[in-house]
Amino acid sequence: MMYMNKTIEELHDLLINDKVTPEELVDESLKLSKEVQDKCNAFVTIIDKPKIMPVSENMLSGIPFGIKDNYSTEGILSTGSSNTLKDYVPFYTATAVQNLEKCGAIAINKTALDEFGMGGTGTTCHTGTVRNPWNLKRMCAGSSSGSAAAVAAGVYPFALGSDTGDSIRKPAAYCGIVGYKPTYGMISRYGLFPFASSLDHCGCLTRSVKDAAIVVDAMKGIDKNDQTSWDSSNMHLYESIDGKVKGKKLFYIKNVVDLDYYQNPTDEFVSHINNFHKTIEILEKCGVTVEGIEIDRNLLNAIPSVYVCLSCAEATSNMSNLTGIIFGPRGNGENINEMMKDHRTKGFSPLIKRRFVIGSYILQKENQEKYFVNAQRVRRLIVDKMKELFKTYDGLIMPVGTGIAPFLDNPKDSVSNDDVSVLEEHLQIGNFGGFPSITIPDGFIDDMPVGINITGNCYDDINVLNIAYALEREMPYKNQIAKEVEK
Amino acid sequence: MGKYKAVIGLEMHCELTSNTKVFSSAENSYNDTPNANVRPVDMAFPGTLPVVNVECIRKALLMSMVLNCTQPEYMYFDRKNYYYPDLPKGYQITQMHAPVGVNGKITIDVNGKDKKVLIHDIHLEEDSASLDHYRDISLIDYNRAGVPLLELVTEPCFYSAEEAVAFLEYMRRIYQYCGVSEADTKKGQIRCDVNVSIMNEDATELGTKVEMKNINSFANVYDAINYEIKRQTELKDAGRYDEVEQETRRFDEETGTTIRMRSKVDAIDYKYFVEPNIPKYKITKEWLEKIKKDIPMLPRERKEYYINKLGLSEYDANIIIKEKDYADYFEECVDIGINPKTAANYLIVQIIAYLNKEGIALKDFYLTPKLLYQITSELDKSTISSKQAKEIFNKAIMEGKEPKTYITSENVQISDTDALNSIIDNILANNESQIEAYHNGKTNLFDYFVGQVMKETKGKANPTIVKDILRKKLD
Amino acid sequence: MKFTKELVDNLADKLLIGLTEEENKLVLDEFDIIDQNMELITKIPDIDDVEPMTHTLDDFEYELRSDEKEESIPIEKLLQNCKSHEGREIEVPKIVG
Repeated sequence: MMYMNKTIEELHDLLINDKVTPEELVDESLKLSKEVQDKCNAFVTIIDKPKIMPVSENMLSGIPFGIKDNYSTEGILSTGSSNTLKDYVPFYTATAVQNLEKCGAIAINKTALDEFGMGGTGTTCHTGTVRNPWNLKRMCAGSSSGSAAAVAAGVYPFALGSDTGDSIRKPAAYCGIVGYKPTYGMISRYGLFPFASSLDHCGCLTRSVKDAAIVVDAMKGIDKNDQTSWDSSNMHLYESIDGKVKGKKLFYIKNVVDLDYYQNPTDEFVSHINNFHKTIEILEKCGVTVEGIEIDRNLLNAIPSVYVCLSCAEATSNMSNLTGIIFGPRGNGENINEMMKDHRTKGFSPLIKRRFVIGSYILQKENQEKYFVNAQRVRRLIVDKMKELFKTYDGLIMPVGTGIAPFLDNPKDSVSNDDVSVLEEHLQIGNFGGFPSITIPDGFIDDMPVGINITGNCYDDINVLNIAYALEREMPYKNQIAKEVEK
Repeated sequence: MGKYKAVIGLEMHCELTSNTKVFSSAENSYNDTPNANVRPVDMAFPGTLPVVNVECIRKALLMSMVLNCTQPEYMYFDRKNYYYPDLPKGYQITQMHAPVGVNGKITIDVNGKDKKVLIHDIHLEEDSASLDHYRDISLIDYNRAGVPLLELVTEPCFYSAEEAVAFLEYMRRIYQYCGVSEADTKKGQIRCDVNVSIMNEDATELGTKVEMKNINSFANVYDAINYEIKRQTELKDAGRYDEVEQETRRFDEETGTTIRMRSKVDAIDYKYFVEPNIPKYKITKEWLEKIKKDIPMLPRERKEYYINKLGLSEYDANIIIKEKDYADYFEECVDIGINPKTAANYLIVQIIAYLNKEGIALKDFYLTPKLLYQITSELDKSTISSKQAKEIFNKAIMEGKEPKTYITSENVQISDTDALNSIIDNILANNESQIEAYHNGKTNLFDYFVGQVMKETKGKANPTIVKDILRKKLD
Repeated sequence: MKFTKELVDNLADKLLIGLTEEENKLVLDEFDIIDQNMELITKIPDIDDVEPMTHTLDDFEYELRSDEKEESIPIEKLLQNCKSHEGREIEVPKIVG
């Protein structure tokens, strides 16, 4: 009997009716972890003997799950997939993880990520490249690569992710699952290794919208250790989902999505856009109005650069604590400076160093106003524009990326200036504004899954989830498990 | 000097008193045991976040108001990024864009003259860890990491070491008066950066600014300024003023000189940016009003009050306001009814002398104002003599017993006029010949009568009253 | 040339990071593109008066922490990941100046 391919809702039913025990679930999940590790290299740590939790009324009790390795977990190796922390065992657990454990959820493994979340390919983990369970030659995207791969492969019904630019929502699309990051501050970031604090969000990867709501219901809450967190105790995400969407209004950014704006698009790209419009039609049948609107191209074009500026700059500072003095391997050197430099030189991968150099350049006194502060200004313009639109619309709906997961031997995680970059990077808008944002699978191209994203106004998580749920209900992709294809 | 004038600016760092650190809930207190006041954020463990302490903000705002600064509508913090082993996060959280106070001013007293000091800003930040250096290694203790620091930056508005130190002394007192800091230089709670430049007496443009960092006593600030003025003056006199560089120096206590650390060219680019983990916090008018009410009467106001309302001399008032403890003690004495002059007298002549001799603080002094009152009230009633009062005072502090235990029916003075009247009448009735002799000019017999009264009362009669009565009856 | 090998090394060095020849080249090769992309930000007109967005949520209200202490973390935990300590303190090579 297989259980791990079921949703949290289904598993809870089985557990509460004694059809299965948490021990059996854990055993199966561990077994699958090992298989998926061999195929996808998704994990940094598989926990030897997960602590079995009793079954209770709580939907998450006895349910196995995965934790992205940039969450601090007491007594369990927590590396951020970086050599700078390759041996770091924290003495405290992140609030979000603690909240899940309080519900009785059982952590099975720590999943691999692009080093400290600073990548979108799953190729910069210190434990090696993470492969897509639908096609092992393709990437999962990142940075929540291991979590996406594991949930898609059916290791457990959910895993934690973090999202600074699109790190939950893009891998979710490439792996054919659900990825949800709620409004900034709904989930405490205490214990999440920071990448860029003003853009970092906690969230989860699941295979159904309702499961995502259940998980975030458990993770969220005001935390005395995170002053950017807020009290959401009056918001019950799971209970509030009713699928009633008639009369809702969504918009998409026409001058990014319409094929007319692209010269010589590839077949894959055309299929992707057509699939998006097909999905829109489904929503319209549910009584949702969807309108294409145009946004100033200059503003849109600046999105990826604003993101690079702000994320790299904040990252250089956030990772200044990685010196090998208090934790992490000691560097060699005659004096303390050499020692710290050796630790950092050896510990960081080339990609992350590249981003640091950019951050260093941007924050320099002579460049700060021109790049960093202006990026903060443009961030506000973009967010203001969205908030203005959210007065009229319930949310923004957009295709995720420009197509399916790319092949690993042809990664495109370099800074590009081609005309598809806005479509590739628009999910960053959700991080700029702290907006709730969810990706769900909406079809296949060449046997590989693609996803669609819905983003709404701050604190309007229930609305966003509800629309996603209504759409999910009309499509056959809920709770799909990756079927490996060779191509 | 003479043909040049020196211009001096100060940065004064002062550790705030609070239960916990500014961004962490670890205890804010000196601890002999290394790494015993540490929460995860103090050692920058991955994933930890700063959480702002309301009490530190309150105290910072209070000082901002004392210094007549403008407070920001929204308070937030900045990161100052640099690598040093005493800075676990790799950045210090401080305030650059929106300090708790800007554009302040305060008048101080320098040798009896008013001096207006301009405050550039006052901001809240965190202290670094402490390093202990040994022969081959250094050890890091994070107890101090995250301790709240208030940094006060003045405009370059001082023209001598005297003025600069007078300001520092005054500020130290203000911090204590406001209960914001112990402000104890001996405990390293105050550290100063000083910048000095010299210019021609009639010049309008400032000379080259030399900064001296991390000076830990006011005496050293004084010496450092004077050394630097001398050094720069000599170079200028010798036509080598171009050798005065915009640089950072440190003061060497042993030689009394300043030593070059780094020049402006090597200045670190701190890459300041706004701390995203601490949201902007609205400082409401209501809160400011409330904090304002907590500002106590400051030394200059107290001094005026002592002189004009309580009738003290300027000399006495100056001594009492020197320490907040003195002033508080004095005021408590006055509040419970001790005559101001008596209280001042006791405090200055006896108590402070005793404290200095014994090396103890006034707060540890046994004889509280209430206990002192036991003595002064009897003195006022004339039930004890001033000689007795002095004895009781000494006994009480030596033996640690309440003064009233030494005031018994056995030893109190007889000041009851009726009782003394009848005793005196008795004596006079038995000494008619002496009375006659007295009236015939043998006036020194007056003392004889006093002696008789004393003899009769075993020395307990109040001599002043006795003399009064005798005069009335004899003259 | 706006970007040089030395500039790149210097930027990295300020973050206490050393670059191999290869890494340096990697950065240098794309720095011009990055720079061009950055210019996209400066193409937005009239932004001088826009307030920089430094925090994610606007009009965010929260409470400051009350001044109550929590227990210090036990020393074993503080030092469990430290590679070199002497007694209760963290040991590093002698720091001069």
